[in-house]
Amino acid sequence: MALARRCHWRGIDVSVCQVSLGDRVDFKEADFLFLGGGSDREQNLMAGDLAARSDLLREAIDGGLVVLAICGGYQLLGKYYLTLEGKKIPGLDILDLFTEGGNKRLIGNVAVEVDIEGTVYKLVGFENHSGRTFLGDLQPLGRVLAGHGNNGRDGFEGARYKNVFCSYLHGPLLPKNSVLADYLITLALKRRGWQGELAPLDDSFEKTAVSTMLQRIL
Amino acid sequence: MKLRFILALWVARLVMFASRISGRGKGSALPGRVALKIYPGLLRELGRQVRRGIIIVTGTNGKTTTNNMIAGVLEGAGYSLVLNREGANLITGVTSAFIKVAGLSGRINRDYACLEVDEASFPGVVREVAPSIVVVTNFFRDQLDRYGELDKTIALVRDALASLGGICLVLNADDPLVAQLGRVTGKTAVYYGLAEHGGVTRTGSAAREAKFCPFCGVELSYRYYHYSQLGRYSCSGCGFARPEVDVEGVEPGAEQLAISCQVRFRRGDRHSLSIPVSGLYNLYNGLAACSVGLLLDIEIDGIIFSLSGYRPATGRMEKFIYLGKTVLLNLVKNPTGFNEGLSALLSVPAGRVNVLIAINDNDADGRDISWLWDVDFEVLEHSSGKFSGFVCTGRRAWDMAVRLKYAGVPGTCITVLEDFGDAVRAALEGTGEMSYFLATYTALWPVERILSGYAQREKLQPENIPSVSRSVKSVR
Repeated sequence: MALARRCHWRGIDVSVCQVSLGDRVDFKEADFLFLGGGSDREQNLMAGDLAARSDLLREAIDGGLVVLAICGGYQLLGKYYLTLEGKKIPGLDILDLFTEGGNKRLIGNVAVEVDIEGTVYKLVGFENHSGRTFLGDLQPLGRVLAGHGNNGRDGFEGARYKNVFCSYLHGPLLPKNSVLADYLITLALKRRGWQGELAPLDDSFEKTAVSTMLQRIL
Repeated sequence: MKLRFILALWVARLVMFASRISGRGKGSALPGRVALKIYPGLLRELGRQVRRGIIIVTGTNGKTTTNNMIAGVLEGAGYSLVLNREGANLITGVTSAFIKVAGLSGRINRDYACLEVDEASFPGVVREVAPSIVVVTNFFRDQLDRYGELDKTIALVRDALASLGGICLVLNADDPLVAQLGRVTGKTAVYYGLAEHGGVTRTGSAAREAKFCPFCGVELSYRYYHYSQLGRYSCSGCGFARPEVDVEGVEPGAEQLAISCQVRFRRGDRHSLSIPVSGLYNLYNGLAACSVGLLLDIEIDGIIFSLSGYRPATGRMEKFIYLGKTVLLNLVKNPTGFNEGLSALLSVPAGRVNVLIAINDNDADGRDISWLWDVDFEVLEHSSGKFSGFVCTGRRAWDMAVRLKYAGVPGTCITVLEDFGDAVRAALEGTGEMSYFLATYTALWPVERILSGYAQREKLQPENIPSVSRSVKSVR
């Protein structure tokens, strides 16, 4: 939604497809894929559906499809989720990461430092997850300045692989952190062969919302 | 044992008195908390003295309003009550309500207790006091439990209901998550709901709950929706469907600051109902109160008369007057409630409106404000002629401004003033013909305090009471 608005404000046409279970999707046709979280029950339904087409998704990701995966969507892209009871739920195995269930939910406001094309930005969001995610041979999205991040231990938040961005931050992530939103739009346009700079927008509400939260938690 | 009982009661009364004198807080939960610490069996001993029965209202939205409407109906019929009027709905608040009316020796001289109880506190409360009627209003995802907690909440209420003997349920037939409770608990149930009308939609919103049948998991099909998952549903898998309704609201209408409908009973007779509050969703609360009144053998004319004199509690569409213009104050705490508030706002016929939105993120509000993105603010995009401007305030004022901007409200219409006083003044001085204030829980009290410093709280004028009057009744 945030991406569509930001494109729309710049005169870039966007169509949003809500995809339900079993619907046909051509990942190569799409510019952007959003994988969200949900309740455990909904999560299982979504996982089953995506597993049936993980090859197509993997191919599209290697071809530069821009993906934002949050919380449950993030965990799903990994190798597996190990529950507290010791049950191993397989993931789509597209990214080199795994998640373990935890006793205590990690909840609260988060600030992370993220490097976007050589410039360091501070992003804010809210996390609420019991899973602890550990990265293998994979870049994190950023470094935790406040909050828990991937697992509350190694100081990393999220993951980045090609044009796939994973994070535990919602709040939601994109509208307020307009720098990241615009970066995703730029990457999606680049994949279609477009070179150039996005027209700047007035982001004063977004920037003040971020700086107000940074002042509170840093 | 008796000594601890008396001690708990007296200490709690002292706490109640002290917090009222010092003016700190509303003093509604603290006395109960203190008393239960001293004597955990207090609520049980007070509760069992109620003469005729205990009525509990639970569910996500509309608890306070429904409970107060039921109380109005019972008081109108001449009964004396124990009542937690202002939404202190945890076990501590319920206990406080009993303490408030208890005699010095701990005697409760009341006919009924009308208690609104938080869903999560429901099992704990019904272990202490045995209700004879339980009303369940609806189940929506609250801001505090974004992911999947709703299923757990429903299970808590369901299991607690199943454990109770001799109760009658009063259930919202239009909400499949509520209506399932009749079948799953096997208890006697009375159903209320709204009939199809001109304002229903054929397609549901993407974010609605309960896409799937609670019994067999097949996707529910809907003939129409009122809002969210409320509507006429059926399951092709197991035959679960909206139950036949005992008390139904037909031909609903919204007038200037009042709502109305015909109440149709299963046996066929119809009665005109009008309630002096905004928001069609309040009809559900009124229908629930009608159902309870009928169960308790109160005459229908009396029920309708009492509801026509209903006064909203703080922040439940409470009405103020500022320089001759109306100001409405409404509590918002979750996406569904906020959507209802917005649709009430859009249905106001009086020209352009100054809107104030106060968003806090303290524990009681929900620290995670992403629920604001589940509210359908997009309805505002194409009604820009209805608003003179939006003032955002509270701890998350800037986030609210971002949300409005992404909903398509022009940035020039949005003002951010983090200080409540500045914001209230700015909104009142807007160019609109009326003002509409929406606030989250912890923002409600400061906004209400500041507002009542400037504006007159509306007294209900007898001539404003629509349709039914005592004289009509006596003629019959």
